[in-house]
Amino acid sequence: MSAPLLEVQDLNVWFDLPNGNTLHAVQGVSFSIRPGTRLGMVGESGCGKTTTVLALMGLLPPTSSVSGRILLDGTDVLAGGEQTISPHRWRDVAMVFQGAMNAFDPVKRIGEQIAEPMELHKQVSGKEASARVRELLDIVGIAPNRARSYPHELSGGMRQRAAIAMALACSPRVLLADEPTTALDVMVQAQILDLLTHLSDELGLALVFVTHDLPIVAQTCTHAAVMYAGRIVEQGPTDALYHETRHPYTRLLWAATPDLESRDDVVSIPGVPPRLDHDIEGCPFAPRCDRAQARCVTERPELRSMGPGHVSACHFAESLAAVS
Amino acid sequence: MRGSDYVVKRVLFAIGTVFVAVTLNFVLFRSLSGDAVSALRCRTCTQDFKEFQRRELGLDKSKWEQYKIYLVDLAHGDMGRSLRTEEPVRSILWEPIKNTLPMVALGTLFSIVFGIATGVIAAWRRGTAADKGALWGGLAFYSMAPQWLGLVIVLYLAGWLGLPTSGVKDPTLGILSDPSAIEVVVDRLEHMILPALTLGLVIFGQYTLIVRSAMLETLGEDYVLTSRAKGLSNWATVWKHGFRNAMLPVITLVALSLGFIIGGAITVEYVFSYPGIGLLIVEAIDQRDYPVLQAAFLLLTLSVILFNLLADLLYFRLDPRVTE
Amino acid sequence: MSPVQTGAPPAEEAPPTRSLALRTLASPILREPSALVALAVLAFFVFLAVASPLLVGDDPKAQVGEVFEPPSRELPLGTDGGGANMVSMLVAGAQISLLIGFAAALISAVIGGTVGILSGFFGGRTDTVLMRLTDYFLVIPDVPLMIVIAALFGRSTWNIALIIGVIYWTFTARLIRAQTKSVRERVYVQRARALGARNSRLVLRHVLPQVTPLLIANTVLLIAYAIFAETFITFLGLGDPTAISWGRLIENAFKDDAIINEAWWAIIPPGLCVMFVVLACTILGQALEDALNPRLRTGHLSVRRFRVLPSPRRQEP
Repeated sequence: MSAPLLEVQDLNVWFDLPNGNTLHAVQGVSFSIRPGTRLGMVGESGCGKTTTVLALMGLLPPTSSVSGRILLDGTDVLAGGEQTISPHRWRDVAMVFQGAMNAFDPVKRIGEQIAEPMELHKQVSGKEASARVRELLDIVGIAPNRARSYPHELSGGMRQRAAIAMALACSPRVLLADEPTTALDVMVQAQILDLLTHLSDELGLALVFVTHDLPIVAQTCTHAAVMYAGRIVEQGPTDALYHETRHPYTRLLWAATPDLESRDDVVSIPGVPPRLDHDIEGCPFAPRCDRAQARCVTERPELRSMGPGHVSACHFAESLAAVS
Repeated sequence: MRGSDYVVKRVLFAIGTVFVAVTLNFVLFRSLSGDAVSALRCRTCTQDFKEFQRRELGLDKSKWEQYKIYLVDLAHGDMGRSLRTEEPVRSILWEPIKNTLPMVALGTLFSIVFGIATGVIAAWRRGTAADKGALWGGLAFYSMAPQWLGLVIVLYLAGWLGLPTSGVKDPTLGILSDPSAIEVVVDRLEHMILPALTLGLVIFGQYTLIVRSAMLETLGEDYVLTSRAKGLSNWATVWKHGFRNAMLPVITLVALSLGFIIGGAITVEYVFSYPGIGLLIVEAIDQRDYPVLQAAFLLLTLSVILFNLLADLLYFRLDPRVTE
Repeated sequence: MSPVQTGAPPAEEAPPTRSLALRTLASPILREPSALVALAVLAFFVFLAVASPLLVGDDPKAQVGEVFEPPSRELPLGTDGGGANMVSMLVAGAQISLLIGFAAALISAVIGGTVGILSGFFGGRTDTVLMRLTDYFLVIPDVPLMIVIAALFGRSTWNIALIIGVIYWTFTARLIRAQTKSVRERVYVQRARALGARNSRLVLRHVLPQVTPLLIANTVLLIAYAIFAETFITFLGLGDPTAISWGRLIENAFKDDAIINEAWWAIIPPGLCVMFVVLACTILGQALEDALNPRLRTGHLSVRRFRVLPSPRRQEP
């Protein structure tokens, strides 16, 4: 078994709020990734998934504080803050942002922008860079002559692919994708997902895929981590999470997605996630959980092993097996 | 050619505005036809003479007739004669234009440079003392009446800097010997600097605000985050991606503030006795020399229309997104 | 792309109440110290303007000393070129300057606001026609136009205010039009319309409360413009000869050769007053506008980086 490429240990992120309090946006997140792994991070908006991946790139604002370890090839790159993280940006870990439509500078051509990190880090330039740009565009399925186009001249789907091409410019080993298919129509969505899966298989690229859409994770990812209120509540191989769901939230997430073939009513999860500007006693999901008991309100559940590589943070995780 | 219909549209609009301006000019001034003649200052004017003048100026015809004559005359460059000196207005305007143009250009240049410098610093060092200082400085100067600032500068700065405070050239130059071209240029510049500086100081404040917020907005854009993610330093990101995008609104703003610039130029010329169009207008008002006033106003309006058109086209050239 | 998310879903928009509109105006002022100071400064000058007749007596222009007498204990700011008490002149000037400023801004706001609302609400041909009109108006330089109209038509205080007001409505119109358009698209307005509400009701009860705060913010900014414009006009000799305004005081200083006499007390104070009032209005108006036109962007450049805290040792699950 290959050594983990990227390992996150007990990551915490706090944001300073204008009123003096702090928001504990990410609480003790841990996971590890090997080459070829595709990890889906799922949760409602505000659960901390975007903040987590931004932390991996060291792109947090000055109002934030971070603790924990981010191990790249076994070395903690978080320890020295900006100093230790910045050398790895784009070269080892690259990112495709949410709404990548806007990731491009509107007054420059996309070829230029894709070449930019190459010229910066690898010192290729001129003809070599142009050739590589065309190569990258080809890999993501864009006609190479579009390198001379401006961002607004490309469709949404094409811009997303161009963003992926740009992310691959320095041949990173980990690709972080934050909601890469939101705001794209279904057909294009499928194409992008196929592309990402293909890249992962062919190039051994590790993928961290942030989304609120669980079916996409089921379709594309090898592993999944479900986040709620800044914490991971269930994590493991996608199959295990699907066939042996061990957390009420995950179960509700699956149930909430409409199934064309089933005649059951679509279940929505009532209520809203808790505010993260103060400590929460007990399980954060308890107020909305359909199986909450007295214990859930007073005692916080820790992540416990449910099987090989599968953990869940619920007091009654085992009893869930009977239901699904 | 990209967007040739855009160019055509703008030119047509400019022509339309010229038409409106010319008509407005006519309406404004001709409506005082009676006043113009009765305000003629001549000690021995008899009623007959006034009648004669009236016919000379075509004031006895219908308004519509007058309008047509006005347009035809204008097309031939005939703008009437000064009521005071009987000279053709056209020749009276020439010298002042030659004086005003470089002075206003210099002043506008000052204001753009000050504005961009302070705006970038303020955005760059957002929230720090430099930001506050730049903003307050700009705002304070912007709130000063130009004539007042001019007076203060004359009172305190001129003597200290050894710069002249009136006129456009040194009357003693050329008396004893032929002045060289350099001496003439330097002399002109010396006389131009204080009025131009006053103008620049009074105007730059609003550019500071715009540049700052354009910069901040640009800096909040995804493509700036992407740039940082790609590994570019703060400085490189600002220079390569922030600048171009943030400067676009400045062009629009300069075009919009032309009215204010002209107003400022008029008062500044008055304070510094600088013989330009501004001073000419003030004298014409004082002496009720309406033909001169009318022509000067028309000239100013047409210049503004022209500059607006140029600004439009420049913006179009720089921003590839403008297509309609 | 904000990294800070609180997790609450967006509340469904409810139609605003009047108290909500007031609160949206009050809170940005109260929160921002500079805006508070600006308000205080403005209040001070308004007080001067209103109380002026009481403070300066009958004739502020009365000669009380030598021409250009330097400041002394009895005359804290000396005398001007006519021997009058500078302090009295300044206070009297406040009245006219502020009056013109407020009146002109109000006129502008009414015209601009009406045009903006009509244009934004009805759209279509009304919009196109009105905006075309605005566009043409915008290109003609404002200050020269004012100067010319003042030269031709009127030298009374009210004329000046009217002229300034009529010139500046275009700025307000554009802003209010944009705001009206966005309000028109909001859920509760659509709903009211679907229920059959008449246009006038829609405008009065839904559009107006939403647009008013921004209009007020804009008007405050306009006051600054107007006071400025007044100084231009007066300085060029076109002001009301009988009225004392700060613009007039500056003009007097110039005409009476205050510079040669090195009478800084006649030159600097009126200009400073103008500067303070204009500055106060600008800060206040800007603070209001900023709060009402939220652009909550976090900059992605930072001078200081994020902070790394030492990891507390924890057991792996």
